[in-house]
Amino acid sequence: MGRALQQNMKKFLTLLSLLSLCLWSIPVTAAVRVDIYGPGQNIVNLALATPITAPQTEAAGMGKSLQQLVEQNLSFLPFMRLTPPNTVLGGTLLPGYEQPNLDWKRFQLAGSDILVTTFWPNGDSGTRAVQIRAFETNTGGRIFGKEYPKVNSKDLPEVADRFCADLLEALTGNGAFFRSTLAFVRKSGKMRADVWLVKPTGRDLRQITNMPGEALSPAWSPDGRFVVFTNIDERSHALGVWDSSSHKVQRIPFLGNVVIGPSFMPDNKVAVALSSGSYPAIFLLNHAFKKERVLEQGPSINVSPTFDSTGTKMAFTSSRLGGPQIFMKDLRSGTVTRVSQNGSYNTEANISHDGTLVVYSRMTDFGHRIFVQDMVTGAERQITFGPGSDEQPSFCADSYFIAFSSSRGGRRGIYLTTRHGGDAKQVPTGGSASFPRWNMPGPQPRS
Amino acid sequence: MKRYALILSLVLALTAGFGCAKKSAESTGYDDGMNADLRSAIQQITDGKIYFNFDKFDIKPEYKNVLKNKAEIMKAHPSIRVRIEGNCDERGTVEYNLALGERRAQAAYDYLTQLGVNPGQMEKVSFGKENPAVQGSSESAWQQNRRDEFRVVSH
Repeated sequence: MGRALQQNMKKFLTLLSLLSLCLWSIPVTAAVRVDIYGPGQNIVNLALATPITAPQTEAAGMGKSLQQLVEQNLSFLPFMRLTPPNTVLGGTLLPGYEQPNLDWKRFQLAGSDILVTTFWPNGDSGTRAVQIRAFETNTGGRIFGKEYPKVNSKDLPEVADRFCADLLEALTGNGAFFRSTLAFVRKSGKMRADVWLVKPTGRDLRQITNMPGEALSPAWSPDGRFVVFTNIDERSHALGVWDSSSHKVQRIPFLGNVVIGPSFMPDNKVAVALSSGSYPAIFLLNHAFKKERVLEQGPSINVSPTFDSTGTKMAFTSSRLGGPQIFMKDLRSGTVTRVSQNGSYNTEANISHDGTLVVYSRMTDFGHRIFVQDMVTGAERQITFGPGSDEQPSFCADSYFIAFSSSRGGRRGIYLTTRHGGDAKQVPTGGSASFPRWNMPGPQPRS
Repeated sequence: MKRYALILSLVLALTAGFGCAKKSAESTGYDDGMNADLRSAIQQITDGKIYFNFDKFDIKPEYKNVLKNKAEIMKAHPSIRVRIEGNCDERGTVEYNLALGERRAQAAYDYLTQLGVNPGQMEKVSFGKENPAVQGSSESAWQQNRRDEFRVVSH
């Protein structure tokens, strides 16, 4: 009898511990929500408590480094303002990391909406676990809490990205920004450029192609395996294909003279402008990168296809009305409608994943500027204002962030803004950079 | 034995050199053995560029004679193969300019074909705005960059 009771007790305790683990990993619904898509985007003030290894004991090793990385990451969110530690009465070194050892009032007085605590239960040198929690200061409610086990100093950037992605997701419903990698082109001489990758925060910068000629217009496959691009050498155009599983690059030639602006559809097939008679036409290629069928053609230039996440809407550039303008084709009905209504030179369309917005560049008297067209309301909004020339806009998978290239800093570089515009922040790329293109949420590049 | 192998490889290399039916003007440049007529023909084909208006690819009347001259030379020298390179100024955007450059190269190709040049003597490529003739952001620089260039790739 006593043995049976003991066994039942054991089962109960096991269940209890399992339940507590689940509770630990399930984010509590945040009262603080940020509507990043609506017109009246609010600002969220966030305070970072000093990372600790024990009550009132600062984590000065990995803890400090992780804190700096998180701060750098959060500075990319235009709707987030970090509370300066010196404005918190009593300071940010706390006697605990969880209720009831948190003093909400000092953070409320400093104007913070969110408090983030970081706890290293076994110290912060070597390989250790770290627990990060985010709380709403007004109610004390936990927004989420995560433990990242076996963290060493090399893992810190990834932990920072994962935490920030989780926080962003809890606040806005989409954490794609910190899970993304940008492909871009870096020029290294006349008619010489290669494709590189970088996180939008500037980390994990690496070159993925090294081939003669100039690479242009990189594009990710939705599964994250391939980056395709245009390669131009002194005699011809070709489709470049980088395979992340083999780290090899193929150069695929096509009959004719042009290979312009490749783009993936959601089913991992490529659409690209190729020669067809007198004018380039947009072709769909099969999974072996061979021509499958025509998506758009006519007696005018048709280039730069881009697709929404359903693959039923294709925005593209066409000169059918004279100068280049942006058009949208419904691939089910075949109906084509004009998107850009103003200006005489609109090109480089990129459609948001939800299909509601099209971003493109317009030639103005002062260089190119980036505009966003709302496909639901029909309203157009200018989101960049130079100086220099702003080109090649590209939507993040969250349909919120937009990367573009600009010459505003002298040499061309990559900048980030949002669908609402606002101050642009440069992505560190260590050199001249253009053609930023986001990967899709989910799989990360394997290199 | 080693000496024989060396001699044999030298002989083979020389034979391969003489074995080329056509000479690549790009790889060898204008060699000294070229006759004056051919040299002049290549020079005339290469020298005469044609220029375009912004976002246009129609051949302007003043350049039709330039193309007629090239056509006569190419017809007289059927061994000459020419690459037509279409280019744009820096103001347009990259992808659209690649298409526009192709249209410019195509316009010259079509005109030369109409004049009786064998299409097999021509190839085309567009560099868009990636290969400017002159640097700068003035109307003069833009005008010089909106062009077709003609390169003799073999003769």
